[in-house]
Amino acid sequence: MTFLYLLLGIVFGFILSRSGAADYNYIQAMFLFESIQLYGILGTAVILTAAGMWLIKRGGRTAAGTPIAIELKPLHRGNVAGGLLFGVGWSMAGMCPGPILVNIGEGKIYALAALAGALVGAGAFGALYDRVQGLFGLPPLSVGTGEG
Amino acid sequence: MPLIVNGLPAIHWAAAGAGIAGVTLLLLYLGNRRLGISTSFEDVCSLVLAQPYFRRDSVRSGRGWRLPFLAGLAIGGFISAALSGGWHPTWALGMFDDVIGFGPAGKLAWMFAGGLLIGFGTRLAGGCTSGHGIFGLSNLELPSLVTTLSFMAGGIVTTQLIYRVIF
Repeated sequence: MTFLYLLLGIVFGFILSRSGAADYNYIQAMFLFESIQLYGILGTAVILTAAGMWLIKRGGRTAAGTPIAIELKPLHRGNVAGGLLFGVGWSMAGMCPGPILVNIGEGKIYALAALAGALVGAGAFGALYDRVQGLFGLPPLSVGTGEG
Repeated sequence: MPLIVNGLPAIHWAAAGAGIAGVTLLLLYLGNRRLGISTSFEDVCSLVLAQPYFRRDSVRSGRGWRLPFLAGLAIGGFISAALSGGWHPTWALGMFDDVIGFGPAGKLAWMFAGGLLIGFGTRLAGGCTSGHGIFGLSNLELPSLVTTLSFMAGGIVTTQLIYRVIF
């Protein structure tokens, strides 16, 4: 299965690289409302995934016969606050989490700094969880904010 | 508009969206996994940090698929560059170079600051563009709609400020 996940990651990374989703200019053009490229990608991906997911859930089982189990993400004030912070970072770097790795693979040297920042940011969040938990009404540690 | 990587043309958005949907659905149908990239940062952190947050099952149990998927993303980017025009390290940053014009040290600082916000913000929100924006919206989850609207708003305001007001 490790090879399957590696392969799916490679396909995903290639698509992100060639579509503009990992391209600084396309990210800015989206936020400046100058290009529909990334809105089109997200819209198409959501509509087709929703349709496919409906079919998969109707079948109820994976290809190997295991019952489909989708862990839902909790609702909390961190959705808004974290979303806003992430949006600022996405605009600055021109990359969201997946494309950070894609940009590194493409040879963009500065993306290494974005990865370092993201790891420090995620590490700081985990280390400070009990301090920010009350502030943002986050679920207990065992639940977390939502795992992808 | 050509891509920064080797000046390549971008593929059509409908094809890219369909491909992303395909990967998301295969992850679910073959692996019973919900797409999400930002949790991988926690997985990497959990290799070296020992706080209770990083010892949770939800973090540790995902390493087996998230880490190879993460490596695949970088390899996919490498193949994309190598196949057309060749792979070579670059500092090119498109309109950032034209308008803001920081050198390498400035770019590293700028990217590190952006990365901090990405890492902290996505984990506070419980997901990013993939986990909330693609999987969560497709699954009609309210927290994902709230988060997606929030990060789109944050990005729009920031880019408009940077390119229409400050520079």
